[in-house]
Amino acid sequence: MTNPTGDIRDQMQTLFRNVFVDDEIVLRDEMTAADVDGWDSLAHINLIIAVEKHFQIKFATAEISGLKSEGQNIGTFLALVQKKVSARK
Amino acid sequence: MTIASTEFLLALMLVAGTIFFLPRGLPRQILLACCNAGFLFLCIPNLTSAIALAVFILSGFLVGEWTRRNQNPRARYYLVAAYLIVLLSAFVVLKEYQFLSFIIHPGTISRWVSIVGLSYMLFRQIHYVVDISEGQIECCSLWAYLNYQLDLFALYAGPIQRFQHFSQSWNSTAPILLTTHQRLKSFARLFIGILKVSLLGVLALKVSQRGSDEQIYARSLSGLTKFALLFYFYPAYIYFNFSGYCDIVIAGAAMVGIELPENFNAPYLARNPIDFWARWHMTLTHWIRDYVFTPLYKKGVEGGIMRPQRWSYLCFFIAMFLAGFWHGSTWNFAVFGLLHGCGVSVAKMWEERIIRRGGRPALRNYLKSKPIRVIAIVATVNFVCFTMLFFPTDLTSRLHFLRSFLLAKPVTSSASVFVPGA
Repeated sequence: MTNPTGDIRDQMQTLFRNVFVDDEIVLRDEMTAADVDGWDSLAHINLIIAVEKHFQIKFATAEISGLKSEGQNIGTFLALVQKKVSARK
Repeated sequence: MTIASTEFLLALMLVAGTIFFLPRGLPRQILLACCNAGFLFLCIPNLTSAIALAVFILSGFLVGEWTRRNQNPRARYYLVAAYLIVLLSAFVVLKEYQFLSFIIHPGTISRWVSIVGLSYMLFRQIHYVVDISEGQIECCSLWAYLNYQLDLFALYAGPIQRFQHFSQSWNSTAPILLTTHQRLKSFARLFIGILKVSLLGVLALKVSQRGSDEQIYARSLSGLTKFALLFYFYPAYIYFNFSGYCDIVIAGAAMVGIELPENFNAPYLARNPIDFWARWHMTLTHWIRDYVFTPLYKKGVEGGIMRPQRWSYLCFFIAMFLAGFWHGSTWNFAVFGLLHGCGVSVAKMWEERIIRRGGRPALRNYLKSKPIRVIAIVATVNFVCFTMLFFPTDLTSRLHFLRSFLLAKPVTSSASVFVPGA
């Protein structure tokens, strides 16, 4: 049985590596913005732009800020992307 | 009634005591709504202000409901855009911004309409309408919306709470301040807030006023000392007054079961202007980031207006300029915003220069260095204190004051006498 988020995770990892110019980034669900070097507010928006463009999806204003807020991590980010990609299909 | 007054604190104790024994849900909401209405009644000076406030607030709810029911994204987008233009225009007119003085004589509007906390209501309203149009607020009753906009704890000067956050407390069925520790923490915070506003803030203001009399001479020791008193103690007054106010409202709101967001985090320990705004009036910074900077930057990058890096500097600048101008209707606030716009952009350029030269490890080392940290904090404090010179008074008086100081001449005209907070 295939993991539906597996493919998204790989693509997101590539996007992260491109945005943060770091080929060693390996995404784990429990990772937060503090675990990625250089993930500040501006880098966050650049990441959002890259994800929106790549997956042809749109994030709402509240979602963009919410993704970097307390209690959020890569797992919740991936889940939201997965939800939006599924809704688009 | 002011937030640190005995009347307010007695009323708070009475309401907090009553609400503690009330069942959660509608009985508690009714009591809070009565308090909000009573507090608002004390703040509204006349009928025209009440009507203007009703139109201002209800328009947000109606537009929100219309966009929620409209299935056409394009129609939703244009309606929200048109509404925001109208809302901002109404705000600028109601606040009598100085750049309108050639068409609206100062005092024309304020004689008839005066609304307390209008700037904060504007931000809450924009957030509410935008989030509804983007499907981020699924359901809202007029009852909840009115209490959100007119929440007495956030009415005067924030914090700028998001509706989603407010509704969690508003609809919560959990008990209020369950443990003794939580209750004591709230009382301690309330006490600290009162201390900041009524003692430390007042002291700092008194000291700063000693530096604003008419006897400043730059080349004499006493002149420099007096200027230093004004330079450092007026920002201290602003901090104690505003953060103390926030302590009181956050603790007070917690006592009646409403959780408000934090607004300060040791701002004078910031190492650059970007860090300063991440610690000072945080809810304003987050609002500006989410509803001004992010959409502006995204549009620019997606539209290929200019290189993302350059565009980001311009967006930082525009966002901070607007944040400054939002603080007040006179030109001095625009200067305050422009200075912070420059500060934030330069800080970003500096950070990127370090990365360009030595990569991310160089930035990490730079941030780890204790001596650099101390120098950066001192430089930031001085930068912020300088910008605060433009905060409290009109631009002509302030420029006259600075010119007099720099030229080592006593201030002569009566217009140049500076009273902070006037």
